[in-house]
Amino acid sequence: MDIKATALLKLVYLEMVGHDMSWASFHVLEVMSSQKYHQKRVGYLAAVQSFRPDTDVLMMATNLLKKDVAASLPTIIALPISALPHIVTPSLAMSLLGDLLPRLSHSHAAIRKKTVVTLYRLALVYPEALRASWPKIKERLMDPDEDPSVTAAIVNVVCELGWRRPRDFLPLAPRLFELLVDGGNNWMAIKLIKLFAVLTPLEPRLVRKLLPPLTNLIRTTPAMSLLYECINGIIQGGILGEGEDFSAREEVASLCVNKLRGMVAGNSDPNLKYVALLAFNRIVVTHPFLVAQQEDVILECIDSEDITIRIKALDLVQGMVSSDNVVSIVGRLMRQLKASSAALNQETNGSDDLDEANSDDETGAGAAERRRTLDRAPPLPENYTVDVIGRILRMCSQNNYANILDFDWYIDILSQLVRIAPPPRIKDSDADSTGSRYPTDISENIGNELRNVAVKVKAVRAGAVRAAELVVSRMASDISPSRPVVLGALKPVAWMVGEYASQLLSADDTLRYLLDIAPRVGDPEVLATALQAIVKLFAYVAGDDSVLWTRERKSSVSLLMARVIHVLEPFASHPYLEVQERAVEFIELLRLTAEAAAGQAPSTDEMQQDPPLLLTQAIPSLFSGWELNSVAVGTQQNVPLPDDLDLDEPIHADLGRLLAQADSLMLPAPGDDEFDSYYNQRPAATSISSGPAISRLKDAPEEVSSSYQHTEESYLDPDIIARRKAERMERYRDDPFYIPDSTMSPPGGRSTPIHSILQRENGRDLDIDSIPIMQLDLDKLSPPGRATPAGRQQPAAPKPRSHQRVVVVAADETIPGSGVSTPRAYDSENNASDSFLGKGKKPASAAAAAAASTSKRLKQQSLLQITATNLADLTLDESASPANDPLAHERQQREEAEMAQALREVQRLRLEMQRANERIQVAQGVPVEGVVVSSKKKQKKKTTTTTAATTTTTGTKPGTKKKASGKKSGGDGAGEGGEGAGGESASAAAAEGAEAGAVKAKKKTTKKKAESSSAAAADVAAAGSGEAAAPVKTKKKKAKRVVQLDDGAEGGSAP
Amino acid sequence: MINAFLVFNGQGQPRLTKFYTQLDTSIQQRLISEIFTLVSNRPAGSCNFLPLPPLLAASSTSNTSASADEQNDVPSLVTYRNYATLYFIIISTSTESPLALIDLIQVYVEALDRLFENVCELDLIFNFEALHATLGEMIAGGVVIETNLERIVAGVRAQGAVAKRPVNEGRGGGGGGGLGAGLGMGGMVWHGR
Repeated sequence: MDIKATALLKLVYLEMVGHDMSWASFHVLEVMSSQKYHQKRVGYLAAVQSFRPDTDVLMMATNLLKKDVAASLPTIIALPISALPHIVTPSLAMSLLGDLLPRLSHSHAAIRKKTVVTLYRLALVYPEALRASWPKIKERLMDPDEDPSVTAAIVNVVCELGWRRPRDFLPLAPRLFELLVDGGNNWMAIKLIKLFAVLTPLEPRLVRKLLPPLTNLIRTTPAMSLLYECINGIIQGGILGEGEDFSAREEVASLCVNKLRGMVAGNSDPNLKYVALLAFNRIVVTHPFLVAQQEDVILECIDSEDITIRIKALDLVQGMVSSDNVVSIVGRLMRQLKASSAALNQETNGSDDLDEANSDDETGAGAAERRRTLDRAPPLPENYTVDVIGRILRMCSQNNYANILDFDWYIDILSQLVRIAPPPRIKDSDADSTGSRYPTDISENIGNELRNVAVKVKAVRAGAVRAAELVVSRMASDISPSRPVVLGALKPVAWMVGEYASQLLSADDTLRYLLDIAPRVGDPEVLATALQAIVKLFAYVAGDDSVLWTRERKSSVSLLMARVIHVLEPFASHPYLEVQERAVEFIELLRLTAEAAAGQAPSTDEMQQDPPLLLTQAIPSLFSGWELNSVAVGTQQNVPLPDDLDLDEPIHADLGRLLAQADSLMLPAPGDDEFDSYYNQRPAATSISSGPAISRLKDAPEEVSSSYQHTEESYLDPDIIARRKAERMERYRDDPFYIPDSTMSPPGGRSTPIHSILQRENGRDLDIDSIPIMQLDLDKLSPPGRATPAGRQQPAAPKPRSHQRVVVVAADETIPGSGVSTPRAYDSENNASDSFLGKGKKPASAAAAAAASTSKRLKQQSLLQITATNLADLTLDESASPANDPLAHERQQREEAEMAQALREVQRLRLEMQRANERIQVAQGVPVEGVVVSSKKKQKKKTTTTTAATTTTTGTKPGTKKKASGKKSGGDGAGEGGEGAGGESASAAAAEGAEAGAVKAKKKTTKKKAESSSAAAADVAAAGSGEAAAPVKTKKKKAKRVVQLDDGAEGGSAP
Repeated sequence: MINAFLVFNGQGQPRLTKFYTQLDTSIQQRLISEIFTLVSNRPAGSCNFLPLPPLLAASSTSNTSASADEQNDVPSLVTYRNYATLYFIIISTSTESPLALIDLIQVYVEALDRLFENVCELDLIFNFEALHATLGEMIAGGVVIETNLERIVAGVRAQGAVAKRPVNEGRGGGGGGGLGAGLGMGGMVWHGR
């Protein structure tokens, strides 16, 4: 055994180094059960270190644990008690609770305090344990003579319990206060303050009581930890925010903040800096102005070389950012990022060419990352970089850009960030935990910001678009064409260059870049956006109305088309449907256009030729129309439903039949033909196009749409289609984003070349020199005084470079939702949140996300975390009886057992009664008319006499015996009479008048039966009358017996 | 509460691991190595609090919206302290006081120092049962039960943990009892990986 213990000890050591030892769990158990203390100790240590929830030998350990808990040597007792928290399971907790409770009053203080903690851990998995042990623990706590270290341990436990269910611990406040005031133990004082911080919100009167000792502590204590916790307690307990005594509160607040400032400022201990920032973080939620005063010292911390402190400072800064300091704060952060990425670039490739280095870094995700991880000393860890970028974006964009005064600056920041942003993580097998943290690529977020600015702030749209253009061009100039493009910013950026093509510096070049990039894009969603952007750009480049249709133009346009088609073609069979659909659409459209262009002779000197209208009119009109605005989340559901639209009404009374018909007949015939001719017989179509383009033009765009719409219509009856159209018109009449059919729309709706308007309005007044600058010179940028105080919606931006300009940040468009106008009750929650949408915020989605995450969270909980959810369900009413009865738990258990037993008894008796009834029924089957009651009575008596004789003797014995005898007599087949007699004889005295009558009737039937079976003489009329009472009594007795049983049970448990 | 107490040396080799919740050995090792990476990259003079290692951060940041109660259950504080060649780590929830935890590590080290008389890393290797015993006197089930140095030392002495293996004399000479030597060997061999 000694060898085994030694081996086990070595095994435990190996386990610590990382070797599995679950196979040895049985040996662990063996050593645990050793008689020698030092072996036992090794066993317990091994159990603590190696047992897991799925270790099955644990069940066998229960008895051993029970035995050791009850041992006489305190050292042995301590072993299972301190091992239990590590291995406890609900069932183990249940069976060991009874053994542990007496240990609360063990003579050794060490045992007592360990038991308290163990009981707490037991309660976490088995809440009942707390109910049973709480009175005892409380008793210990209240006992002023208790060993101080036990009291401290109890306070620790109470503190742990305290924040879970603070209300239960309010009654303890006086005692705890006492401990706080005159307890000398710092650790305990800290815990007490933490506990009080939880209690004060529930009991405001505590504040006044606590304030003097806390301020006293703050002023006098030499222990920094205690000082900090006092301040923290004051903050967390809401003491700063409450109380009627304003001056006192003010005093405390300034005292706290000054102390904290002292901790942060200067070259003090970094730990103090850290905790002070923690405290500021808590204050900033309720008292931002107090923290704002300390801005200088906090900003110092952002530049600290210690990342932990930096992150905390960042948290803080995010809370106190305002339009006044945003530039300087972001400037600090940007400098950090810049420095780190510069260092990175240097090591990536020693080239000084910043442009090349940067682009390499962006697209060469894998390589750069690998190198970075290999290097092991990154200037800034990637997590941190991502975090900082995210914070910058949030700081700047909060409250609909309320903090931003100078959007040109912001665009510069954004385009710089796109460069700095670390490449998205490649999602592979081991990214499961890390990948979930950044579900979206940070660079896509940056791109989204850029896009938001372009959409919302018209004044700087041109600048934003140019920034996007630059991003695209840099991406395209990447030297390695084979590598996939991973930059997430491409998606929003591509959208921008497409949508605002008119504001591009050089749409031709951008188109070329996009065409270069497209084949290398990996993410299908990005690709879909890119395709759309390509065609938009093409429409803009090629569809210029004003340029003459010269030979050169013809050839260049057709070349361009050929190029676009060439790029698109591979995507026509892309596995991602959205990409595939768009590619197919655009390919067909462009082919048509190509034919048209080929057919249109170029204008010569003598003859003026217009470019094909398909090119100049039809395709651009696909993309121009209403300007797109940002719409608040959820507004879609607010679009009011027209009154005359009944969604429940079937579209057609006999829709089912129609559809069936369409399926079986119509679709195959015309549909096939159309598709075939359209898609497969293109050569034929070419011949048509040899005619003058203008003749085709009218229906050309319609033909395009027909391929998608007519098929649908071909199997719907004309009246349905008409109605559907009308309905759709109706539905979208109020929707500005629906582009109505030109024939029906009010004038001015359609193909307004909106970009030209925009251009006229605000495009050209920007100086082109202000293309986003790569090198950010923030020092130069930030100082220019923000002379004009900023209004919320219309901040006047002091433009550093040129003239003053009013910047309007468009708010998200919403439809003010009244409950009435949204009869579409998707669900009540959405409707309820509609009212918030007017503010342009997104509480609905946030709330939903929160709810979702909480629910998810319930399932997946974090590593190292212990579950205590069931503890919350426990009611710990100490005012109720259990508090008075220390053995409540045992009593309850006993009661339960007895209740079960009683139930069984009742069941048995009922069964007997039923059996008796059956017998009666059988007897009743026999014809019994004309029978004299008396004769039957006598008969009955005869049958019973024998058994009665036996039972009467036993019957006189005490209650419990009675039961048994009654059972026996019933069992020996003497019939219901015997049974009745057995019971009756015992309680003969109890005769109930009221019920007697009713029961007598029953008795009569039994008598009849008895009479019929045996023809006895009517010699005992008198006896019959005496017997008449008997069955009644049995009846009574059965009921009574049960009652008695319960009484007995309760009586038994009482001692 | 305290979720884990770890000790490892400058090379990331664990010297003591105590998790107050049951965890797979492999996850324990991963956590240790992640924390070690964080710790070893700290510049001198930085504070004693670590950012959350990815393994823990993944679970806690995704539910920032969780209620305060639940957040109190999540391990969110990693405190470390460096003594000569050893790092002492405490992983705890936000309900613990950060500064007090630093003091707690101090108390632990002082207790060891008292028990081993001028403790060094070798003592911990040869006597790791005593490490556990000392820790057991201070923390039970993740709750601190004793912070008084005298009582802790007395508690460990009462168990006879240190007296049993007089390796203190053998320290430096590399000898010690048979058990200790065996353990040391085991440690060396496996650490070599």
